[in-house]
Amino acid sequence: MTDLSPAHRKAGRIAALTIIMFASVYAVLGSQIEYSFSSDPIGPRGFPIGLGVLLAALGVWYYLDTGACEDWPDRRGAQAAALFLGLSVAMMLAMPYIGFIIAMAILLTGVARLFGASWPMAFANGIGQAVLWWLLFGPLLGSHLPKGPFGF
Amino acid sequence: MSLDFLWQGFGVALQPSNLLIGFLGCFLGTIIGALPAVGPINGIALLLPIAYTSGLPAESTLILLAGVYYGAEYGGRISSILLNVPGDAGAVMTAIDGYPLARNGDATRALAISGISSFIGGMLAVVAMTFLAPLFGLLAIKFGPAEYFVLMVFAFCTLGSMVGHEPVKTLIGCVIGLTLTTIGIDATSGAYRFTFDEPELHDGIEFIVLVIGLFSISEALILLERQMTGVLKPLEVKGKYPSWLDLKTITWPSVRATVIGFIIGVLPGTGASVASAVAYTTEKRINNKDNTFGKGDIRGLAAPEAANNAAATGAFVPMLTLGVPGSGTTAVMLGALMLYNIQPGPQLFIEQPKLVGGLIASMYVGNVLLLILNLPLVQLFARMLLMPNWILIPGIVALSILGVYSAYSSVMSVLIMFGIGIAGYLLRKLGFDMAPIVLGFVLGKVMEVNLRNALALSGGEIGIFFSSPLAIILWGLALLVVLLPWWLRRRASALAAGSP
Repeated sequence: MTDLSPAHRKAGRIAALTIIMFASVYAVLGSQIEYSFSSDPIGPRGFPIGLGVLLAALGVWYYLDTGACEDWPDRRGAQAAALFLGLSVAMMLAMPYIGFIIAMAILLTGVARLFGASWPMAFANGIGQAVLWWLLFGPLLGSHLPKGPFGF
Repeated sequence: MSLDFLWQGFGVALQPSNLLIGFLGCFLGTIIGALPAVGPINGIALLLPIAYTSGLPAESTLILLAGVYYGAEYGGRISSILLNVPGDAGAVMTAIDGYPLARNGDATRALAISGISSFIGGMLAVVAMTFLAPLFGLLAIKFGPAEYFVLMVFAFCTLGSMVGHEPVKTLIGCVIGLTLTTIGIDATSGAYRFTFDEPELHDGIEFIVLVIGLFSISEALILLERQMTGVLKPLEVKGKYPSWLDLKTITWPSVRATVIGFIIGVLPGTGASVASAVAYTTEKRINNKDNTFGKGDIRGLAAPEAANNAAATGAFVPMLTLGVPGSGTTAVMLGALMLYNIQPGPQLFIEQPKLVGGLIASMYVGNVLLLILNLPLVQLFARMLLMPNWILIPGIVALSILGVYSAYSSVMSVLIMFGIGIAGYLLRKLGFDMAPIVLGFVLGKVMEVNLRNALALSGGEIGIFFSSPLAIILWGLALLVVLLPWWLRRRASALAAGSP
């Protein structure tokens, strides 16, 4: 934690506004939940509405007193995080089509590169770990992992 | 109460073949527990048909499955402490202080302490079960919706311990956790809440998806940021075992947590995750004078570990005495008993003394076996951290994805996990703690369902929450949890002001 600077205060206020917005949308959607019958006096809407109102009130409190936060990553850090998340999501979406081993090998090679491995080491690590985890969770533990065009 | 069933049970559990079966169960359970999402329930479900078709007698099957069950409770802590990836729901709280210890080079000490506190929790709970099982069985049936609701209020009161110098962040975290429990089909009315016509959301957000996202994916993002700024260094493993002072320090927290864990474990539908959350927050409330919890305090590590092992044992009480499983895993074990045409219930202790005694005796033996198995292995487990980050962190990512995918066979669940991971990363950067979110999530559904069931029973009359002696005792305890630390602090400052 670092001392509260204008940048930290701004980040906290943006977060507080996001929370207030989320709480408001949540409460409104909660009040529109459709149901035909409820055996209790609160019903399925009561709890979400109550929580939405409470969260919005806490959001206002947070806006007024944002407290400390950490420094945000620089441009390079943000790019690396975006690359990691983008690659992860892409490989998860591709996994049902290209299979577990290929998707994981590509993802883990990329992650290893981001954490400083050279290309040959990253490849060896990506392929090695993908096969190892597949063997452990697939044939050994019986999980149904997606198969690609090559049957794995 | 006659303990004949226990002596007969030791005769069964100490047979060489059953000792071997118990050891095998403990060993497999430890490995299964260490893998995220492949919790004891999966292990038992996998082993049950093998044990049944191989013609093992009922008591041997139960010893094997029980070994897997409490072995997994021991094993769940390993990935929690070393990788910040909770091996099972009960090990989430273990990561809060265990992981910082490991990152500070104390992985061996943290693993050994958690093993010892697991042993204390498991062993004391088995003793309690031996003597109090029938009594607790009767207590469990006195818990109606109103009492459960008050129990949840009590659990939230223990949250006061998490309120540090920024209470608003703790409270927001807790309410976010609660809001997440409202996603999915409403259990009382059948209404679809916040599902957005997405079938994958009908069952709500799964606990394992939430905790892996919040803990391991957000951690991977933070480690990546440190890598980019050049501050991520290879970890050090000192290899130091706990000192006598450490053991002395964790004794009372472990005993307190065992009592909490056992009582919560006995109550059907609560489980090890609630037990460890309440034990952690209670311990923090009592002992966090120097603000060391969350930064690698061994008491914050010992308490949830003792509690989750005690809860795992406590969950057997309603299963054996009433035929009501206390957790998903004991529900599968109940199925195992029925497979052998054994009907659990109050008569079980009289009609099947060898079976019940064998099971309870195997827990004594199993806990000793697990301690013997675990202590020498902690050095080996801890050395895992010496791997370079480019091997270790892809391993964490792979384990997180596999943990979720193998549990739900759904790419959508993995994507939700990443979404939660991003939210967790942002919240951590903003100075939010993850524990209140988890606590809100763990308690939210039980709280809402019981609140509404109680009000349905009373026709909307809130007096139902004060109508039984048990509810009144729980309200009293909740008040005590809130007021006692405040009173103690006031007293301490008054004494300090009065001293020369």
